[in-house]
Amino acid sequence: MEKITVTLISGRTSRQGVGLEVGKTSEEYFESVSYIELSAGDAESLGVGDGDHVKVETAHGSVVVSVKLSDKLEPGTSFFPYGIWANQVFGSETGGTGMPQFKGVEAEVTPSGAGVPSLADLVATLKGGS
Amino acid sequence: MAVFTDVVCPFCGCLCDDLEITVKGNEIKGAKNACAISRSKFMSHRENRIMTPTVKGKEASLEEAVEAAAKALASAKRPLVYGLSSTECGAIARCVELAEITGGVVDNTSSVCHGPTILALQQVGESKASLGEVKNRADLVAFWGSNPPAAHIRHFARYSVTPKGLYVPEGRKGRYVVNVDVRETPTSRVADQFIKVDHGGDFELLLALRAAVRGTEITEDVSGVPAEEINALAKRMKEAKMGIVFFGLGLTQSDGRHMNIDAAVGLVAELNHHTKFVLTPMRGHYNVAGANTVTTWQSGYPYAVDFARGYPRYNPGEYSAVDMLAKGEPDAAIIVASDPAATFPADAAKHLARIPTITLEQKVTPTTMLSEVVIPVATAGIEVEGTAYRMDGFSLRLSKVVEPHGGVKSDREVLDMIVERVKALKEDA
Repeated sequence: MEKITVTLISGRTSRQGVGLEVGKTSEEYFESVSYIELSAGDAESLGVGDGDHVKVETAHGSVVVSVKLSDKLEPGTSFFPYGIWANQVFGSETGGTGMPQFKGVEAEVTPSGAGVPSLADLVATLKGGS
Repeated sequence: MAVFTDVVCPFCGCLCDDLEITVKGNEIKGAKNACAISRSKFMSHRENRIMTPTVKGKEASLEEAVEAAAKALASAKRPLVYGLSSTECGAIARCVELAEITGGVVDNTSSVCHGPTILALQQVGESKASLGEVKNRADLVAFWGSNPPAAHIRHFARYSVTPKGLYVPEGRKGRYVVNVDVRETPTSRVADQFIKVDHGGDFELLLALRAAVRGTEITEDVSGVPAEEINALAKRMKEAKMGIVFFGLGLTQSDGRHMNIDAAVGLVAELNHHTKFVLTPMRGHYNVAGANTVTTWQSGYPYAVDFARGYPRYNPGEYSAVDMLAKGEPDAAIIVASDPAATFPADAAKHLARIPTITLEQKVTPTTMLSEVVIPVATAGIEVEGTAYRMDGFSLRLSKVVEPHGGVKSDREVLDMIVERVKALKEDA
């Protein structure tokens, strides 16, 4: 299958917490937040496995990240750890509450041959540099 | 070798206060009782530190950086003061003052975590308890849209699941643990009962559960949960001696937001016709509750406060940081103890790169990488004393166990310098 549609939820993980305390420029942090979890069934549908790259795209943006297989997720749900990678695909509309929707967002996932952007790449994008 | 006991952990809203930090020659050598994240915070606190202030990417003295910050803020028409939740209360108070004297907006990270909780509780009130009461009395503990092993690692052991309490002497065996979530997590594996709710279905499930508690038999599935499961849980909740709902961002960041919390409060209020039931938000940043508390002392409102008219106005959705940045409103920003460039949706965060952004921070972050002025500061709770508020609203004293790395000043000291210069510039103008 060339693409699947998932419901994206973002959230904390203990690895993300450990990584951010080492520092956001650290390898630990990069490894802890630049992936999405997919169910084994969804990964099989896409023909991807642990560590392969996928493009995650929503109505708000897209980003390339690696895949981590989860034996707990049900097909159709994907988990994205909090961080600057996840925030490429969430929108700033808050519905008058101040709170963007960081959970329950529909996304398309496709296999990708591109590399996962670095922290510096994403900051350059925010600056309008790339 | 010095050993500091009863040290409060400055990471999450649990504020665990039983850490033993071993220090030798101003270096932390050990962090006993700390969870993995807390240990990382203490043991790695010197790694990746910003060593000197910078202005437009060039090294500067502290005084030069403060001057650049003060000029940007004093001349701004719509400055934004944001962050606050990972520092001590004294620094938070200065942030509110800075917003007031610049006619700006002050917002803290609760606008993107439990802001919807605050909105709901302001509407309908809350029934609450200390974490100590939970430990000593709660025999039914529900985690709804929250997953402590990911973000509040010692919560189970210290407060909610395994500890033996005065009226729960059996500890874990004396408590019935329920987990409601859209996915299976480590919490669901610990729980006696895992209820998988459909995405965006929490509001309806909370209302159905409330109706069942009120005596209405639920006859059809709600949000993917079988009717008999809802009826059985309602019965079990009513029969508890004391119950608590610890809810997380699964409720505040999904469809419904504050209305989900409104429904949760309604359920708890209903349960109090039958037994003692309370609810507590799982606050993330260790002093986000302090940010709400201090901002309320000084302005009357907990977050998203605008001083543009010279008096405070409150309107999340308008004066909250994500909304302001997405609309391109601020013409300067000062970020204290937070990293919005990483934690906000990109289309809001990018505005920080278009305006003079001043950031007070310990380590290099995406926000410091796009800031015009960066001022390194000491780490509250490790290098600086102060006060922080736990998720249940109790204040605890943070410790200083080592001298600030590189001799940097605290958030409070740097903010004092900026406030003083802004006042002088405003008077001159």
